[in-house]
Amino acid sequence: MSIGGSDLDKAIAQLRACRPIPENQVRELCYKARELLIEEGNVVGVDAPVTICGDIHGQFHDLMELFRVGGDVPDTNYLFMGDFVDRGFYSLESFLLLLCLKVRYPDRITLIRGNHESRQITTVYGFYDECVRKYGSANVWRYCCDVFDFLALGALVTGAATSLSPTEGPLAENAEAMPDIDADIEIETLNSAGEVMFRYARNSDSQTSESSQTLGSSPARPDPTPTRVGAAGTGASGSSNGTSRNEGGAVLCVHGGLSPLIDTIDKIRLLDRKQEVPHEGAMCDLLWSDPDDIDGWGLSPRGAGFLFGGDIVKRFNHNNDISLIARAHQLVMEGFKEMFDNTIVTVWSAPNYCYRCGNVAAILELGEDGSNAGFQRRSNGDRGGGGGGWVLGSNDGTSTRNSTDNLRLPEGPGRRYRVFEAAPQDSRGMPAKKPVADYFL
Amino acid sequence: MTTLNGQPLNTHVPGHDADTSITRDGFKVTVRKLPILKAGPVEDMTQKLGITPPEMIFGDNLARIEHPQNGWNIEFNAFDALDRVDKTGASMLKVSYSKEWQKNRQKQFEEIKEVVKPFDWSYSTDYKGTTSGTPSFEPTEKPIPIQLLMRRDPILFYDEVMLYEDELADNGIAMLSCKIRVMAQRMLLLSRFFMRLDGVLFRIRDTRVYVEFETGEVIREYTAREEKYDTVRKAVPGSPEDVLAIMRDPNQLFAYVPIVEKSLDRAVIK
Repeated sequence: MSIGGSDLDKAIAQLRACRPIPENQVRELCYKARELLIEEGNVVGVDAPVTICGDIHGQFHDLMELFRVGGDVPDTNYLFMGDFVDRGFYSLESFLLLLCLKVRYPDRITLIRGNHESRQITTVYGFYDECVRKYGSANVWRYCCDVFDFLALGALVTGAATSLSPTEGPLAENAEAMPDIDADIEIETLNSAGEVMFRYARNSDSQTSESSQTLGSSPARPDPTPTRVGAAGTGASGSSNGTSRNEGGAVLCVHGGLSPLIDTIDKIRLLDRKQEVPHEGAMCDLLWSDPDDIDGWGLSPRGAGFLFGGDIVKRFNHNNDISLIARAHQLVMEGFKEMFDNTIVTVWSAPNYCYRCGNVAAILELGEDGSNAGFQRRSNGDRGGGGGGWVLGSNDGTSTRNSTDNLRLPEGPGRRYRVFEAAPQDSRGMPAKKPVADYFL
Repeated sequence: MTTLNGQPLNTHVPGHDADTSITRDGFKVTVRKLPILKAGPVEDMTQKLGITPPEMIFGDNLARIEHPQNGWNIEFNAFDALDRVDKTGASMLKVSYSKEWQKNRQKQFEEIKEVVKPFDWSYSTDYKGTTSGTPSFEPTEKPIPIQLLMRRDPILFYDEVMLYEDELADNGIAMLSCKIRVMAQRMLLLSRFFMRLDGVLFRIRDTRVYVEFETGEVIREYTAREEKYDTVRKAVPGSPEDVLAIMRDPNQLFAYVPIVEKSLDRAVIK
């Protein structure tokens, strides 16, 4: 049998009901998916608007909640940053559904690889056991692992608007004071009912305007030597390099973070990704590394793996004309966490992680540049030079090798975070977990 | 500046009732269960501890046995347990592939050599609970009467509470949790630290608190077990799947992970 057209829709319907599809269909699906993924580069180009999601970890019912909150495929364009499997009880259904959607709507969903999409990790953390339990053999696990090897390592979102059109939803009960509706909205946080909990206008607090002033004004630079900063020819800047434009820089999406081996996006493009995740090297770092409040690069105390500081992120973003790095990989209690003057964000999409953490999850929506009529960002001099002195997209600035203070960073995209809680217990088809008394010793 | 989150969020999840308790013969047993800490409290804890807390930190949770009349209590909470973790890096473990990783790294990045904030990231603790009031515990030879605990007396109160958990960046697991069961005449609390560093080491550190209500006798037993990963792996029988399952379950590991340290102490609360 073949899995195309209506068969694929049947498989999607079955998986949406959280029922696994037969082994021969999995084999067919994985074959089709591989054919599709092999055509993708290591860094997939994605046009805004797009909704960016973090770790799922087999929490199928919460994935359904994510689709309820964020909109269904193909209505919403999705980008999942890996870690589809392990830990949750429904890795198989979650991953196969995402894969079916990928095959059915290849242009509306992007899947990139997380560190759990690996043979070694899945044998320890649950996906292997789940496949054996549900199919009686490891075949399905093998098919899936073969797909893992073809998943892209990152994605580059371009065309994201720098400000949001404010949501016309009601305000949440505990919403904080809202900025003027005419303001340039940079961040909005909505709850799962679509109510606005928080809204933030660009330059509306002292910290942000301070940093804008630093960026916008022209303080004496310690080293006036112009260095090559534009990374011309990288996909990040592409054809728009040098032209004045209203949009901010691109958004790089990767599961873990940066690597000391990777200073341009083109270097990611050159990697040979079609393999098991190695224990070291650039590909490993992209899937494993974490940001930390340090200067430069550091070694994890665990004896393997890198940590990177804010200066590393800022320089990378500057050199590649990126305004934001979106990554997943680390549990954050509020569902998302922005660091280093909003140059990197961790997005976490598994609520009540492992069914016991009680955390909320989030997804990040980036709007399309130009679609929000009347809210396009223009440089204006109203704020005492904040934002007035720098032309977006112009890369011929100067920087110093050891300081990121004066780097001209592209203006970040408008970011709408939708925060959601775990699906109600009764939708899981299993009773709420209560500890069963046992005569432990 | 780090976050610009849309606070505050109500993360209370249905099914998480904060406190449950029972009182028997003047002893009050309480278990508190709440979600993991949010960013703010985690930052506070990081500062107070001086180390990065585990990924899942149930900082509001606790298990407590108290005798209000005498002002005596013993409590198990995450902060005090983590305060006993080595913060110097002196007893730091390395993940299984560290050597290989370091070798390759040194060729390429000699300038990156600083280990960020070294500490015992396996969160190994020898925590035996936080006590206050008198009398205090004194060493004893008297063991916990296991035969009395093996009887199937009806359990009047039972609960389990997680204090912290960390996945060691997908190199295994470290977790500290408590179980409590209260019968008509006695009770047992088990606080267990379980750590599996894949390819390297197993640790099981149990603190048991036994209370005989009528006499007010409290016996506390601490048992530390440790064994190399490969030794356990070779000793565990069965298929690869069975082995993996056993290596996730401390109860099944007892036979393969020997005791390396043991202590007993006792107090009588009357």
